[in-house]
Amino acid sequence: MKDKLMKVLVVVVLASMLLAACGGGAPASDEFVCPEPENKIEVTSTELNIFVWTEYIPAEWKTCFEQVYGVKINHDEYSSNEEMYAKLLAGGSNYDLVQPTDYIIGLMIRQGLLQQIDQNKLPMANFNPNYLNKAFDPGNKYTVPYMAGTDAIIYNADIVTTPPTSFADLWNPEYAGRLVFLDDSRVIIGMTLLTLGYDINTTDPAQLEEAKVKLAELIPNVKLFDSDSPKTALIAGDVDLGITWTGEAFTAQQENPAFTFVYPTEGAVLWQDNWAVPTGASHLDAVYAWISYTGQGDMFWLMLRDFPYIVPNQAALDFAETNQAELFDAYMNSTITNVPQAAIDNAHLIEDVGDATPLYDQIWTEVKGGE
Amino acid sequence: MLKRLRENKAFQGTILAIPTLIFMVGLLIIPLILTAIISFGTRSPDGNVIYGFSLHNYARIFGISSECQNGKSICFDPLYMQILGRSLSLAFNTTVLVILMAYPLSYFIARSHPRRRNTFLFMVLVPLWTNFVIRVYAWMMLLRTQGVINGVIGWVAGLLGLHFVPLEMIYTPGAVLVGMIYEFLPFMILPIFTSLEKIETPLYEAAADLGANPFRTFLRVTLPLSMPGVVAGTILVFIPVMGTFIVSDLLGGKQVILVGNLIQRQFLDARDPTFGSAASLILMVMTLIVTYFYTRKFGFGEEIISA
Repeated sequence: MKDKLMKVLVVVVLASMLLAACGGGAPASDEFVCPEPENKIEVTSTELNIFVWTEYIPAEWKTCFEQVYGVKINHDEYSSNEEMYAKLLAGGSNYDLVQPTDYIIGLMIRQGLLQQIDQNKLPMANFNPNYLNKAFDPGNKYTVPYMAGTDAIIYNADIVTTPPTSFADLWNPEYAGRLVFLDDSRVIIGMTLLTLGYDINTTDPAQLEEAKVKLAELIPNVKLFDSDSPKTALIAGDVDLGITWTGEAFTAQQENPAFTFVYPTEGAVLWQDNWAVPTGASHLDAVYAWISYTGQGDMFWLMLRDFPYIVPNQAALDFAETNQAELFDAYMNSTITNVPQAAIDNAHLIEDVGDATPLYDQIWTEVKGGE
Repeated sequence: MLKRLRENKAFQGTILAIPTLIFMVGLLIIPLILTAIISFGTRSPDGNVIYGFSLHNYARIFGISSECQNGKSICFDPLYMQILGRSLSLAFNTTVLVILMAYPLSYFIARSHPRRRNTFLFMVLVPLWTNFVIRVYAWMMLLRTQGVINGVIGWVAGLLGLHFVPLEMIYTPGAVLVGMIYEFLPFMILPIFTSLEKIETPLYEAAADLGANPFRTFLRVTLPLSMPGVVAGTILVFIPVMGTFIVSDLLGGKQVILVGNLIQRQFLDARDPTFGSAASLILMVMTLIVTYFYTRKFGFGEEIISA
């Protein structure tokens, strides 16, 4: 009897493996023609190990880079800065490029995880100066801008009758059980601090205590905490409003134009992702070739097509304006991607809070742990 | 000499155990010792471990604080104990419900015709071939406000001309429990089935001959003889449920923090490996204590393990 069961098991397992093997083979890319590198760097490396955010790189970049430079791209992904940081800190990884967000860069530099870059080998002129020389890396010694975005309020205008205009409005009892928040302690505690008129990066225990009490009132009204894909629950109608980021808001709006993205009066959260090179990266020539090549206007415009965020690469916007008018107009006409200057000026950057990090975590645990 | 060694049973046993031993020492014992050492350390502002001997992480978990607001020298904050309690009660509820659902099904399979038995067992195993997380996502599709279940009920209600307000199912504690039961049911069915299958039919006939009605037979014969299966299943279900958090995150909307979330956050967002290590050890010790008292009362399900 047992033998028979085993036989059936073996047959089914083999059959499913066979099916899986047949399913392979990537679909052929469309008619994108790989542009010539503007400044072809001599590359002797045969590999480049990149460690990037989940779904954050156009597929053509890899194909073209492999084609033009003959370098094989090994591509790993992460879904939070903390995950990337923990992996680099543990050692043993051999990544040549990572994409840290602003607040974690200072920490990574202090921990000796990043090495300085040589700006002379990079197309720094392509970038909008607003995204260079930021407080997290003065003089861009360690980082090159990649993409930027905001965390702000999204609501479904068809269903939400009283549109929120500020973070403070989210405490409106009308919204109870209809909210989706990022599962991000710094953003959510931070926006609570903003409603109280405090700094988003405060380390003052009294201010944090006040924020905790205020946030604890709101948490039971939140139906879902999701930092992976909050748009899914919004589009599916499980929730009607909440806090989300640029890319999610843009995609949700394309799905249903009723989704409206609002920069709260207290100021949104502004963030910026960057290229950085881990200490011990062994394929530096390929690193410079990669950042330069993908950073040219005729390559970087693909980000406009695939990932609707704020594009700090001016050359890409210029290229799109003449060659991809439709994408360019969609980008420029949306306040989600083309953020009004007033909202940028009003926005806040999250910074590392050092010793207060466990306190933020404890507050998060307490407000979520409340019975 | 060499020949004698070769014939030595103990030596043969050692040789056979070496691969597993290396594995267990390298990937279990040593990491466990490291976890213990780190748990007594303190955290630097950047989240590095400063080695030393401090009990403050344990004091924090048990909620004992000397920084009190009302002038007392020592006070109690039950935050982390509440989280442990919540995980414990979720594990307890899941286990009890899984037993209640698995037992009748196992009984049905064990008493069915041997030819059908394999088909039924096969059906119990099939879901396990799909990744755990993907199956939870399938439940999300079912439970959404505009998901499959609400869609079907709404359609039927529409046919009957009734007004239907979609049920709020996803992101509720009920959804978490449904997901948990679904996930762990096979781990209870299989051991209970194994112990029920071993009960010989003449035992039932003897019970009937001696005048026991079916209910009494079940209570006095079937249930005691199948207890080893229930015990083994309980151990297989209870321990993993204590540390899990994927189901509660995806189906519960991350509204609550379980001990699994708490530990994970210490190594990521909070960057406090010392507190995370202490919490891991406490979880392990607590699970051990519960399992110890449980197995002392009911045995270890030895028959199943040896079977």
